[in-house]
Parts: sequence; C-alpha cells; structure tokens
Amino acid sequence: MCYEYFGSYAEGLYKMATNKAVFILDNGAYTAKVGFSHSDHPRVIPNCIMKAKSERRRPFVGDQLEDCRDVSGLFYILPFQKGYLVNWDVQKNVWDYIFSKECCPVNFTEAPLIVTEPYFNFPSVQEAMTEIFFEEYECTSLLRINAGDLSCYNYMKKNAGTLCCLLVDSGYSFTHIAPYIKGKKLKQGIIRIDVGGKMLTNHLKEIISYRQLHVMDETHVMNQVKEDACFVSQNFLHDMEIARKRDAENTIARDYVLPDFTTLRRGYVRSIGTADKSSESEQQQILRLNNERFTVPEILFQPSDLGISQMGIPEAICHSISVCPAEAQSHLFANILLTGGCTLFPGFRERVEAEVRSRAPDHVDVRVTLPANPVTYAWQGGASLQQDPEFFNMTVSREEYEEEGHNLCFEKFDI
Amino acid sequence: MATGRESGRLKDANQKRVLDEAARRRRMRKALEALELDNFHDDPHADLVMSKKVPKFQETLESRGGRKKKTRSAEYYKQRFRKTFAQLVEEDQNYNPDPPNYITAQAAPSKVPERHFCAVCGFISNYKCIPCGARYCSVRCLGTHLDTRCLKWTA
Ligand SMILES: Nc1ncnc2c1ncn2[C@@H]1O[C@H](COP(=O)(O)OP(=O)(O)OP(=O)(O)O)[C@@H](O)[C@H]1O
Ligand SMILES: [Mg+2]
Ligand SMILES: [Zn+2]
Ligand SMILES: [Zn+2]
Repeated sequence: MCYEYFGSYAEGLYKMATNKAVFILDNGAYTAKVGFSHSDHPRVIPNCIMKAKSERRRPFVGDQLEDCRDVSGLFYILPFQKGYLVNWDVQKNVWDYIFSKECCPVNFTEAPLIVTEPYFNFPSVQEAMTEIFFEEYECTSLLRINAGDLSCYNYMKKNAGTLCCLLVDSGYSFTHIAPYIKGKKLKQGIIRIDVGGKMLTNHLKEIISYRQLHVMDETHVMNQVKEDACFVSQNFLHDMEIARKRDAENTIARDYVLPDFTTLRRGYVRSIGTADKSSESEQQQILRLNNERFTVPEILFQPSDLGISQMGIPEAICHSISVCPAEAQSHLFANILLTGGCTLFPGFRERVEAEVRSRAPDHVDVRVTLPANPVTYAWQGGASLQQDPEFFNMTVSREEYEEEGHNLCFEKFDI
Repeated sequence: MATGRESGRLKDANQKRVLDEAARRRRMRKALEALELDNFHDDPHADLVMSKKVPKFQETLESRGGRKKKTRSAEYYKQRFRKTFAQLVEEDQNYNPDPPNYITAQAAPSKVPERHFCAVCGFISNYKCIPCGARYCSVRCLGTHLDTRCLKWTA
C-alpha cells in the first residue's frame, strides 16, 4: 500500500477532532439511502424521476411520489443502467432534490461525504463522480467506496474477532458475491449474477400479463405484488406439486387485491375465498397468484430457469469461496452476510444456508446472517466507519483533489 | 410426444414454418432484453411541451454556504459524461484488460442441470413445440401456445 498518500495518524486525529457530521449516500440504482452519520437510520429515497398519467402538471422526483394519488401506469426515468450510473442529467436532478431543503439538506462545503459505487465501476463513471462532487457540490472531502465494503465493515464491528465475511448483495440491478479477508476484499473472488429485483418484477409482469391480466405498464404496482406475495421455496419440486392441486389442498395459491387508488392505495394479499361480500369488494380487481409466488424469486437461485447461463446464488457463493486461500475458506462459510432488498423474500436466508450447507465440505460450519435491515446495512456501515480513527486518512480533500486530480482518487479509492 | 387432436394442429404449423436455431436464439435474447427495460409503455407526458424552468447549457448563479457559485445544469452533465453502457464496457476492456474486471466477474454457467417450464402455465414441462422450440406441459397449454404466441411473434 502506498502509504505516502495516507496522511499521518496525528493528522487523521486532528481532522477527526475538528470533524462535523459525515453525510452518507448509498447511491443504489433503486433507492438512495441518505443521511448524516449521527442519525439512527437513513432516509430511503427512490433514485429516479417518475411521471404519472393522472398528474400531467409535473414529474415526481424521489419520494415526491408520496404526493401522487394515482400511481397507475407510472413511467420511470432512471439514472442507472445495468447497475451503473449513465444518465447523469437524471442523477443530477435527483441529487439536487435529495440535497435540498425539501429532502435531506446538506452543505458539502462543511460535511464530508461517503458515497457508494458498484464493484468494478467503470473508470469514466468514477471520474465523473469525483468531478461532480468536488466541482459541482464543492465537497470538502470525499470517500468513494463499494457499498459492500461498508457492509463488511459493519459486520466486522458487530462481530468482534471475526476475520472474514462473504458478502451477498442482491439489489435491484444484479447480485454480487464478494469475499472479504481480514476486512479486505479479494477482487478475484467477486462474482456478479445478472439477476436482481428489477428483472424479477419485469418477469412477474410478463407472466401475469400473458396468463391473466395486462399489467405490462404497471411496474410500480407489480413490484409491490412481488414484495408482498413472493417467497423463496425450500423445496421447489414439492411446491410445484402443491401448486398444481385444487381448492383447499393448494396451500400456495393466493389472491392479490389490486389497488384502485380511490378506496385502496396499496394492494394486499388475501387467502382464497375470504373476500367479504360487500358491494365494494365486487369492484375489486384481483390477481390469482399460484406458482408465480415462488418461481419468480427462484431465478436468483437458478438463473437458467429463464435461459440465463449463470450460476445461482448458492453455487456462486461456493465458487467464490473456492478461489480464496484455503485457510480463509472455513471462516467465509461461517460468515455469509446477506444484504440488498431481494434478501427480504421470506425463506431467502434458509434456502441459502441449506443449499450452501449441502455443497460445502462436511467439516465446516455454514452460518448465514440476515441483518434486521439488509437494505440500509451498508449505510449503517458508513455511519460506523466515520468513527474509525483511520476514516479521514481514507478520504480525499478538495485541496488534495485540486492539486493532484483524478490520479490520487484512483489510487486511494479501491473500487 | 403429443398425440391425438393437437398433433393435427402441430402438423399444420409444421408445414407452415419452423424457426431455425438462429431465430430461436434471437427470440430468447429479445425476451431477456425485455427484462432489462425501465418501461414498456411510452412517456405519458411525451406530448407536453416541457416547461422552460430548466435552463439548458447555461450556468446559473446559486447561493451556497453564503457565497455565490456557478452551478451547472443537468443538461451540462448529460453532455459532459455522455457514454452508453456498451461504450463503458468497451472502454473498460481497453483500460483494464486483465482480470478481474466487469466482464470477468460475471458468474460462469451453472453445473446444475437446466429445468424446463411450460411457456404457458409455468409448471414443469416435458415437451417441446416443434415449430418454435417453446416448452409446454399439456395438450391444453400447447393449444394456447399455438393460438397466442408460437410463430405469431416476429423474431
Ligand atoms: N420485502 C421485499 N421483498 C422482496 N424484494 C424486495 C423487498 N423490499 C425491496 N425489495 C426489492 O429489492 C430491490 C432493491 O434493493 P436495494 O435497495 O438493495 O437495491 P439498490 O441498492 O437500490 O440497487 P443496486 O444495489 O442494485 O444498485 C428492488 O427490486 C425491490 O423490489
Ligand atoms: Mg445497493
Ligand atoms: Zn402448461
Ligand atoms: Zn411454438
């Protein structure tokens, strides 16, 4: 490590003593998790601009969507493509809103910033990040870091004495598996599966539209259907058998009551045949969900179900561990950490643990941890990292950037 | 294979056209690309003339931390960092040719045998539609498939 680029320990302590709160932005493709390090938890803001059919006077930026009564046919404008930031005008508009008085006011000339980027972020995207934060937002100091590094840091702090962590981040655009040994990521072991929550929602939309009701324009609602009704099967073929059965023997089928945006703003899952007989319920639109409930999340575990020739999560975990040094492997099996919104599907943790267990050598312990909030876990790691004596040595200040430019950032930030 | 009523229909379709391997792969790729789309419909405000509020290519003065500073419009950043995803990947291959990188990080093919599902109902499938290669599970689902999708999609 080229330590001449890291300030001295004393310098770090000095900066820390004069330190104001740090602002943390876990800039996900679906939501930005934002807030000052001293808050208990971040705000979770949709990272997009949306247009509604029902409101033609204005678009909605981020959580302004809460002001929109009828979100049917919502049209999305996203800063990210395949998990990487490409639409900078969109991102700039969303950030301007997030950092404004209306949302999460911050003055970057005073507050240092931690901002996350995906693994293997492209060099020109990294340069753009550096430039926009130093030149446009005039940041006093900046740390660009992988969200997974923050999650791993959080895990190590919470589990003192732990040396390794095998991180799974299953978010919107993709799923990453990343091994960390003594707090440092092993880049050769990082695996990307090109399946995330976006693909699952789109697939659910596709099959429901073909099988029962045209919902191709209802990404927003169908995403809620996915989150409310889908689960990860513990025995796929057995559940397929149950889903084939009729009536009471089919314990999987459910109805989903779709929102109408006058009497119902958000839909909900209902057991079959429990509709109340009021006149209101006669006008409800219902989706009947059956094998869709578990074949959709199943794609994370077997992407080949959709014709994607990639390993599923448990296989990729074992593969990733197999390229790590032998002495680290048992520690990695015992410290599998789940983060990202898709890990919230009921049954996700149990399935990962069971499948990795069956693939792992007999003598190793397999332990899979699902934190209380896998979506904000990386942000929490940032809040904790900010208290580390090393923190300010990891950042680049605006003066340093003005003197040394992008090269310093490429050397210091390990993306 | 399918017997009885639907085999007549199958023969019919067979005589008309059979998708070749390349067309099947194209169809598959299109289906996967569709799963990456942000929207399937058009911008509902596309017919609106956007308000003149957002300045284009021009810098505005904004007060920040008590000082006046030039801020650039979103449009400036769109122009300044204009690279498509494909360009970024290509650039990365030149800049960063040795593994590990974006390309090499993608998961390798699975060793688990593929499973097949009925293109209509989603249950396990044991049969393959002869004209297009889609999977089906029963006479009933084959019928639906032939009537709705089979060769009706332009691949
Ligand atoms: N309870 C839930 N059950 C299932 N999926 C969920 C749940 N909550 C959120 N998700 C899904 O998780 C995804 C978002 O996860 P997350 O917030 O980790 O992504 P992100 O950090 O914004 O994106 P990325 O890390 O890919 O850039 C969405 O697709 C969302 O539908
Ligand atoms: Mg994320
Ligand atoms: Zn079928
Ligand atoms: Zn066919």
